Amino acid sequence: MKCSSNSFRRKLLVSVVSISLPVMALAESNNDDLQTQIDALQNQVTALNSEVQQAAEWKNPNTLIHMAGYADVGFVSPEKGNDSFAVGTFSPIFHFQYRDVVMLESELEFEIGEDGETEVNLEYLTIDWFVSDFATILAGKFLSPVGQFRQNLHPSWVNKLPSAPPGFGHDGAAPISDLGLQVRGGFPIGGIRTNYAVYVSNGPELNSETEDETEFELEGVRAEAFGADRDGDKTFGGRFAVLPVSSIEIGLSFATGKAAVTELENGLEPPTAGLESGFIGSETARDYDVTGADFVWFTGNLSFRGEYVKTKIGEATTGVSAGEAATWESIYTQLAYRLPGTKWEGVIRYGDFDSPHNSQDVTQTMLGINYLVSNNFIAKLGYEINDGVTGSPVDDDRTLLQLAYGF
Amino acid sequence: MISINNRIHNQRYKLSRASLLLLVAGFVQPTIAADYPEAGNFSNGSKVWVENCNRCHNMRGPKELKDDQWISTAFHMRLRAGLTGQETRDIITFLQASNTKTVASGSTLVSAVISKGTTGMETYEKTCIACHGGNGKGTLPGTPDFTSSDGALSKTDEVLIDHITNGFQSDGSPMAMPPRGGNANLSATDISAVLKYIREAFGK
Repeated sequence: MKCSSNSFRRKLLVSVVSISLPVMALAESNNDDLQTQIDALQNQVTALNSEVQQAAEWKNPNTLIHMAGYADVGFVSPEKGNDSFAVGTFSPIFHFQYRDVVMLESELEFEIGEDGETEVNLEYLTIDWFVSDFATILAGKFLSPVGQFRQNLHPSWVNKLPSAPPGFGHDGAAPISDLGLQVRGGFPIGGIRTNYAVYVSNGPELNSETEDETEFELEGVRAEAFGADRDGDKTFGGRFAVLPVSSIEIGLSFATGKAAVTELENGLEPPTAGLESGFIGSETARDYDVTGADFVWFTGNLSFRGEYVKTKIGEATTGVSAGEAATWESIYTQLAYRLPGTKWEGVIRYGDFDSPHNSQDVTQTMLGINYLVSNNFIAKLGYEINDGVTGSPVDDDRTLLQLAYGF
Repeated sequence: MISINNRIHNQRYKLSRASLLLLVAGFVQPTIAADYPEAGNFSNGSKVWVENCNRCHNMRGPKELKDDQWISTAFHMRLRAGLTGQETRDIITFLQASNTKTVASGSTLVSAVISKGTTGMETYEKTCIACHGGNGKGTLPGTPDFTSSDGALSKTDEVLIDHITNGFQSDGSPMAMPPRGGNANLSATDISAVLKYIREAFGK
């Protein structure tokens, strides 16, 4: 029995060993595979973790870089001229911001002229220093804070009609931009919200026109930022607005300084001496005064706004374009209504522009229909009824189509 | 055998740890905003946003821009609209909270400043009133009129709760309401309560 028992034990041991060896070998092989997979996973986790860290890092930079802007394309059909497709402007706006301390903002303006040439302008460039909750200091070239249209409403995706009101474009009654120093902000008075802007700048320059190339008269105010103060007197201006209730804003604006003729029509040489003290001949700096008022009321689907601006240039007793005081004056009101439950909007605007030159004066009524594909992509159809001096370029009705996109 | 078991156990532990790491890595969300400006007040931000932006231009929906883009945009608009610094921070807080479907994990900004109220009425007044108005007729173009008999409230609770929870863009409206009105802290109970209040206050 003992011999038989030993034999059985030996057989059992052999059997167990013979079964266990392949199983152990197989387990060892699986473990190696598993180890390889774990190592690969760990490498992936390490790499992923690094990427996540980097992604999180770039979500918290001290400097933010941002681009916004707007562009528009369109079609113009005047009653007395040829129909034309047109590119309005492409206006990218760049923001470079360091935390909540300072922001550099700049807008470029690309336009295609009738001759096909592309024109690039620096619409504005300011460094904005947020010095307190109630004041920001801006230095550089800024949009004129006189009134509302130039500083806030002129971008094509904001303007509810395809054209600017008469007198609020270039060489109109309203200043466009200026170069200098500005402080602006807002503060509450009790429960009433207010906002303000005050500035000192180089101010505008004047140009003159002639019919016989010997006598010149004042043509217009070039109220766009100049890189030098050629009349030597700074311009001061600003706007103060109050919101008695949140849906109403009423603003008053002013600017005062000096301006001188620095340009004769067609680049003609002055009949008197050449450039002296930075401007032409014996020209003297004239008084420059701007007054303005604006309002807006909006509620639900309705908005109603209006603006008035007057620019007055004082008389000059000497100089090639010596003459009496001259005044440019413009006013407009605009009513817009969004049809409830639709993307359609109707707009009507009335405007009037008076200048020292009758050929530029115009009374305009404009009707518009807008389709808001989205709030920043708008298709506009407008019809301008322009009433000017018969035969003058402004005495021409126009149909305008425009696609405006804000980004 | 014990040695083999230990190795397998260790490897399973490593595998579990690796899986956990992967899982965590997959759910790690970047912080929702830079550490500036300081957090503002969500409710006041929605109010200031509605009262100011529409004054000059059509409203831009919160989801149009990312958090950092809203910072620069809001500072730009601070200058244009004459906002105070606090109003700017409030608007940024509102827009950053409203441009995402869910609040990112680890975010303290949103949860710290959004008060949701304890009743349906309080929730409405803290989260909904800026756009939908105190009278339920809407303060922005495209916002539905709750008092209209065939308007938004003619829909079932199930549909409206889905709209509130996940956000909704009405026909004809060029801008969508953000999920939970931008207040990610609203629970299902809060949403049911605010809908009940809206029906009681404005329904016909």
